[in-house]
Amino acid sequence: MLPDGLLSYSAVGVLVVPRFLGEHDHPWLRALLDEHERFIGRPQRELEAHLREPPSCEGPPTRRKQAIQVLARLRRGRDRRAAVPPRRARALVFAEAARTEGPRATLLSSVAATLGVTADELRDALFADLPGERLIAPLPILSPAELALRTNLALVQALLSRATSVRIEAEGNSRVLVRHAKLRGLICTVASRSGAGDAVLDLSGPFALFRHTRLYGRALGELVPLLPWCRRFHLVGDCVLEGRRLALELRPGDPIFPAVEPRRYDSRLEEHFARDFRRLAPEWDVVREPEPVPVGSTLIFPDFALQHRTDAARRWLLEIVGFWTPDYVANKLALYRRARLPNLILCIDDHRNCAEADLPSAALVVRFRRRVDAAAVLRCVG
Amino acid sequence: MPEPGTLGALVMKLRFDRGTILLTDPPADLDLAQAPGVLWDHRVHAHRAPASSYPALKSWLLEAGARFEDILLYQTHDAPEAWLRVDLRPYQEAALSAWELGHRRGVVALPTGSGKTRVALAVMEKTRLPALCLVPTRVLLHQWLREISALYRGTVGCYGDGVHQLAPLTVATFESAYRHMGQFGDRFGLLIVDEVHHFGGGVHDEALEMAIASARLGLTATPPRSAAAATRLAELMGPTVFELAVSDLAGGFLASFDAMTLYLDLTPEERSGYTSLSSLFRLAYGDFHRAAPDATWADFAVQAVRTAEGRRALAAWRQARRLVAFTQAKRRALHALLARHPDSRVLIFTADNETAYAIAREHLVMPLTCDIGRRERDDVLQRFRRGDLRALVSARVLNEGLDVPDADVAMVVGGALGEREHVQRVGRLLRPGEGKRAVVYELVTRNTMEVGQAHRRRQGLVARRSAQL
Repeated sequence: MLPDGLLSYSAVGVLVVPRFLGEHDHPWLRALLDEHERFIGRPQRELEAHLREPPSCEGPPTRRKQAIQVLARLRRGRDRRAAVPPRRARALVFAEAARTEGPRATLLSSVAATLGVTADELRDALFADLPGERLIAPLPILSPAELALRTNLALVQALLSRATSVRIEAEGNSRVLVRHAKLRGLICTVASRSGAGDAVLDLSGPFALFRHTRLYGRALGELVPLLPWCRRFHLVGDCVLEGRRLALELRPGDPIFPAVEPRRYDSRLEEHFARDFRRLAPEWDVVREPEPVPVGSTLIFPDFALQHRTDAARRWLLEIVGFWTPDYVANKLALYRRARLPNLILCIDDHRNCAEADLPSAALVVRFRRRVDAAAVLRCVG
Repeated sequence: MPEPGTLGALVMKLRFDRGTILLTDPPADLDLAQAPGVLWDHRVHAHRAPASSYPALKSWLLEAGARFEDILLYQTHDAPEAWLRVDLRPYQEAALSAWELGHRRGVVALPTGSGKTRVALAVMEKTRLPALCLVPTRVLLHQWLREISALYRGTVGCYGDGVHQLAPLTVATFESAYRHMGQFGDRFGLLIVDEVHHFGGGVHDEALEMAIASARLGLTATPPRSAAAATRLAELMGPTVFELAVSDLAGGFLASFDAMTLYLDLTPEERSGYTSLSSLFRLAYGDFHRAAPDATWADFAVQAVRTAEGRRALAAWRQARRLVAFTQAKRRALHALLARHPDSRVLIFTADNETAYAIAREHLVMPLTCDIGRRERDDVLQRFRRGDLRALVSARVLNEGLDVPDADVAMVVGGALGEREHVQRVGRLLRPGEGKRAVVYELVTRNTMEVGQAHRRRQGLVARRSAQL
């Protein structure tokens, strides 16, 4: 996480505008990457000392430091070879120094002789395993453009770590955001925006009710690289920066580094079902994460939509109720009962022992053990 | 007054929810807005309070005659024989009594080496409550685990340094507590915080607010001096209920010590470098200070990074600091001092790791830094205890809490953290011994920033408030 001193932004009215790195920064980022290249095979402490010095190339100092921090996280090192295992060298040399008087050089030589190495080799070995002594390995292939995007992501995440709450309007893939929020212990209220298939997510932590806290900043920041996987999004973070409340806005096209593509399925169960059904019924499309369904003020996210290719009217929503906690299942079924969906297939794990009365009356039910039977689902949709 | 408990379907429920208390289904005639710490949470359509308000909230509900289903409370866990007897010195007994009289909430301030952990063990043994002990570093985590295990026969839980294991007595690092208190803040009735002065400044205070524990004991050698931090700490842990300084115990329960300051000069080359760096710094700092006489160093740092001149000034200040960290004169003085104390156990303190390694290479003194792994560190301390090593050099690791055996000479080559750090460092020498008189040498470079630093850091050693023992 970037520290306070490395946040580069301007405040425009009530907005915080991050100073993103762009194409015009590529020359000095290239120079920075080249500097790293020159230190490959040398101890990390030498590079760190070099980077503390005033830079040889132009570049905004704060943003240069941001990029250096991002690089440090990507950097890999390898241990230096030592003639004697360093810990053993330390144990022997410092104990001998406690036992004997006399010049240090003589002492090193005599310990080295007992180990069959030279005094220089022994001196080199003494701290060869410390982090600063690790030798710099080549960076993963990284262009100035990618370094700029990664630095921008670090900046936005650092700004969001000062956020009390975040609102995201998202179309497509919003389920991934909800899942992340739940996993990280955030409170996530989901509403539907009238008419559109968009979800409006309000995210904050339980303790944020009482005062501004950075407790959830990391979890909120982790949402950012997931956003580029939404078809459309608009994020507004309510941040406190230097004692002022400012809003941070992000939209598609902002130059931030995306996460690897989120997992397409929540479980192997879902993945297997999708594969089996596609094989068995090529005339049907299996749509993963269809548009959310409004229920009162909240939304439900069915697992799949099954859509017949030639008959648009033949469309079913499908939910796999797998092995979750009883509360979770009860809550989910309650929502589906309220939704009264006409074309709903519920696949229920037999181990859940759901009573018929708990299930939505209009739904078709396919019970399963271990694996959802695609053929049984196909019989339901005809 | 009605008893709390499960009294039907529509009884108000209290639930621990990620570091807070959630109140659902309250009776219509109960105005929860008046209850301590409670706010309406529109996100979940329920009332919510910070977990630390739980004891006050429960009392309020009982007084109001409300029926409620309580959160699932911890159980007192142990048969008394799980604890061995914890013997206390008179001032430790006095500290324990003061804490009891303070309704089991408060901070005990005792000098380093006077056995603060012992007071904590006695509190655990006496209250028999499930206890969570918070410590600032991984080094202290393992030290506390060892010390509790020596007197307690049950399993001791550990949260930190890659281990996530809960038990009725658990030790956790501050960082782990900050991240995970929302998961286990309802498990403990007693919260003990070592080096409690780290809290009260707003950073990570949530770790203490997300625990329901009503019994709270803070331990420190250096309680916060600023009124704001002290007030906040009192809210979180209770007020300072007992306080003794080094000079209150020196010569009795702590060893006496002599402090000697050696004023050293820079070489002409060093002086010329230092003068140009410090004038560069003073130019920018002087302008800033004139414009904002009440501003702090942190204010200056924030301001300085915004301009090229400010950045140059900060860089010059850092270089000047590095220059005085280990000067030629300090090298020579250290050599002479090590030769003067060939049979003593010596601790050398530096301002940074770089200097610690430089001393380690030059004088062949074992360094104890954050880079040295736990096993090697334990092994080094064992060998120091046995006398196989006679000196250790460290920047920060030896500062706080670590139980260092019987050292009798300290050489302070440099420091970065002022009064608090100095008190902690001197405390390393104060374990009493037969006829022991410890010596603290401070190496201070004349006409540099070190003179002011040395003056400030000594303030912490003067007597505070002697307790009636």
